[in-house]
Amino acid sequence: MKSRITTVAISAVAIAALAACSSTGATPAGSEGAEGAFAPTDVRMIVPFAAGGGSDVSGRAIASGLEDATGATITTENREGGSGAVGYSHFLAQEGNGNYLLAAETALLALPLTTDVEFNYESFTPIMKLGDDYTLVVVPGDSEFQTCTDVVDAARGDDGVVVAVSGAVSLDEVVFTLIEQDQDIEFDRVPFEGGSEVIAGLLGGTVEVGSLNPSEVLGQLESGDLRAVCALSADRYEYEELADVPTAVEQGIDVAFAQWRGFIAPGGISDEARQYWIDAAEDYVASEEYTAYIEDNLMQANALYGDEFVEYLAQNSADLEAVVSQ
Amino acid sequence: MLENLLLGFQTALTVENVIWCFIGVFLGTVIGLLPGLGSTTGVAVLLPLTFALEPVTALIMLAGIYYGAQYGGTITSVLISTPGEAASVVTTIDGYQMAKRGRAGAALAISAIGSFIAAIISLALLIAVAPPLADVALKFTPVEMFAVMIFGLVIVVTFQGGALIRGALMAVAGLLVATVGISPGTSTERFTFGNVNLLSGIPFVEVMIGIFALGEVFYQIRMGAAEPIKARFKDMVIKRKDITDSMPAILRGSGVGFAFGILPGAGSTLASFMSYGIERRVSKNKANFGKGAIEGVAAPESANNAAANANFVPTLALGIPGGATTAVLLGAFTIFGLQPGPLLFETQPALVWGLLVSFFIGNVLLLILNLPLAPVFAQMLRIPYGYLYPIILLTSLIGAYSVSNNMFSVWLVLIFGILGYLMKELDLPMAPFVLGLVLGPLFEKALVQTSAIGRGDLGVVLQSPIAVGVLLAAVAMIVLPKLIKPGRALLGRMRDRSEETTGV
Repeated sequence: MKSRITTVAISAVAIAALAACSSTGATPAGSEGAEGAFAPTDVRMIVPFAAGGGSDVSGRAIASGLEDATGATITTENREGGSGAVGYSHFLAQEGNGNYLLAAETALLALPLTTDVEFNYESFTPIMKLGDDYTLVVVPGDSEFQTCTDVVDAARGDDGVVVAVSGAVSLDEVVFTLIEQDQDIEFDRVPFEGGSEVIAGLLGGTVEVGSLNPSEVLGQLESGDLRAVCALSADRYEYEELADVPTAVEQGIDVAFAQWRGFIAPGGISDEARQYWIDAAEDYVASEEYTAYIEDNLMQANALYGDEFVEYLAQNSADLEAVVSQ
Repeated sequence: MLENLLLGFQTALTVENVIWCFIGVFLGTVIGLLPGLGSTTGVAVLLPLTFALEPVTALIMLAGIYYGAQYGGTITSVLISTPGEAASVVTTIDGYQMAKRGRAGAALAISAIGSFIAAIISLALLIAVAPPLADVALKFTPVEMFAVMIFGLVIVVTFQGGALIRGALMAVAGLLVATVGISPGTSTERFTFGNVNLLSGIPFVEVMIGIFALGEVFYQIRMGAAEPIKARFKDMVIKRKDITDSMPAILRGSGVGFAFGILPGAGSTLASFMSYGIERRVSKNKANFGKGAIEGVAAPESANNAAANANFVPTLALGIPGGATTAVLLGAFTIFGLQPGPLLFETQPALVWGLLVSFFIGNVLLLILNLPLAPVFAQMLRIPYGYLYPIILLTSLIGAYSVSNNMFSVWLVLIFGILGYLMKELDLPMAPFVLGLVLGPLFEKALVQTSAIGRGDLGVVLQSPIAVGVLLAAVAMIVLPKLIKPGRALLGRMRDRSEETTGV
């Protein structure tokens, strides 16, 4: 009975996807002729987090984009639990199977650093980095803080500053630790679980400062309930809503750190399969769907493929380790 | 206000929207009925189906699944003591007893009526005072939530009256099971034994299916199949007296449910058992609680529906989800290109008011759907147990597997099924165990946060007037009954004496 509902839902997704394919008339990527052997038809996209969250949204967006690019059927499957550990561990067991993909983000690097898991990023075949999601430093609308420099100065004072974090290797823990290391200060922390709890904590006066992805907090920024004092990105945002927010670097704080999103294949897949997915990813990035996803989520479109992505992961992992070991 | 409502009716009362509203509440009822498949999973799984619809239509349908599931969750709680939804756990206590007495039809009908009244009351409150209420909800910071959790634990412990020590024991056992997994705040692993499946803790849904569904089946097998409950169709229909008796419980349940529903993160599960605990104290019929009191079904069922609606207060007014399901719904807003947040009421009036009015339509549809069906569903109990139990076992195990597509869940369900059987053998109350498991993570999070706010000093709780008030109420829950009894006895004796004197 229950599986019937799942089946109905899955087939509905498949039908919707097929309809999308036929309407755009997309043809499989040219790779098929060149490499010959690898041509997947029935693909699983594992999302290691619950349906409805940021990873789920990106996983489904990538799956739909790759379907258009390849003509294959890609079914999204949520395997949540253990901050992503359950999904990645399941994925580890699919070694050598080019018909499996996983919607990855910073947990791929954070989990091996903090939790007793059997994988790290080298256990898999990284295919593509979709883009970067930087964070904003956010305060309540009526806060006395006008800039990130104000926040840092207050943290040097006697009363300190209370910031919100969402776990030992969450993005906000990482960026606040980087600010602490750069400025030689220390924040007081109150732990939360996820962005919406942090927003409630800021509005209710439990914490003074939070660090959130723009897409999580835009509604409160537009209403004036919350205010962004700086962006922890290398350059200012080009989005109209965020163009006025100065970067931390402009304010003398040398911190920029992004959460990346992308997708990986299992370890030990054939070179043909790897190249097939890289080609498909490049086709997806050229599509309107990709642009829409990046813009809807106020992300920055810094796509990387294959070896470049691996290099990025190595650097990012080292950065994270410096924070965690502190 | 009036023009907003008018706009809402204009949006919600189109043929298309009413049809999708019906599809939503119907699917919600089915989803609530199936063990393991709660409203959160239901909304998430069916979300992709709605991509082709207009945003407002899609949200009307998804919200319909949400509150429809609150109705459906009751049916299996009452009939086979297997809650389909977490918020219906409490209903099993008196609901199943009623079913055993051949009054399943009345139990189902009163839960439909109670749910309907609660939904209408909470909807009126939601429409009239959502923004100011949202500000009140924000006053419940972790410090106040810490006090609320202590209040909750007190209710859990004193849940089943006489067996105070057994209740406390089982609640502590539930809290202990809740400590498995990564701890909040420090991210330390506890009792995971290197198993990745245990990192996020022992999931509540699997425990619930195991203890209630499998535990009951195992127990009945051991007892030797009882005779199917033979009740005449006439007895299955609810009587007028049942409704009038339940009215105070329904109204109190609605109030309690709404109050807990607006607190971010508390949700309908907490609301349902709080209202049951309170009703046990104040009801005229309290002596029959646990033995099939209709008030014991009416109160929690009204509360979980009121809470489901009240959950939309922080969701719509602040852009902060009130619970797990509204979090998925907020995700849906984003997918449809809507920016959830405080400005939603101004930027999308047709959508917000259309959605709110659709709740009203949906609840009317649910009442029409559920009232006549109550006696029909109750007929299910006529199925001989030899056929019924394999079906329960099968749906339970499939339900467990589908929670996370993982065999580990199935093993968990079997283990907790055996534990549930043992609890029944030893006559240990199950509800406090489950509720300890629900409260555990919430309680611990509030504790860690409060401790961080006070820089290690829990004394900050005493600086908050709201928290102190809640704590005093918790103390009163323990102390007052002890004082009232001797007090009444004393009064009684004095009255007797005065009667004696006047009589002479």
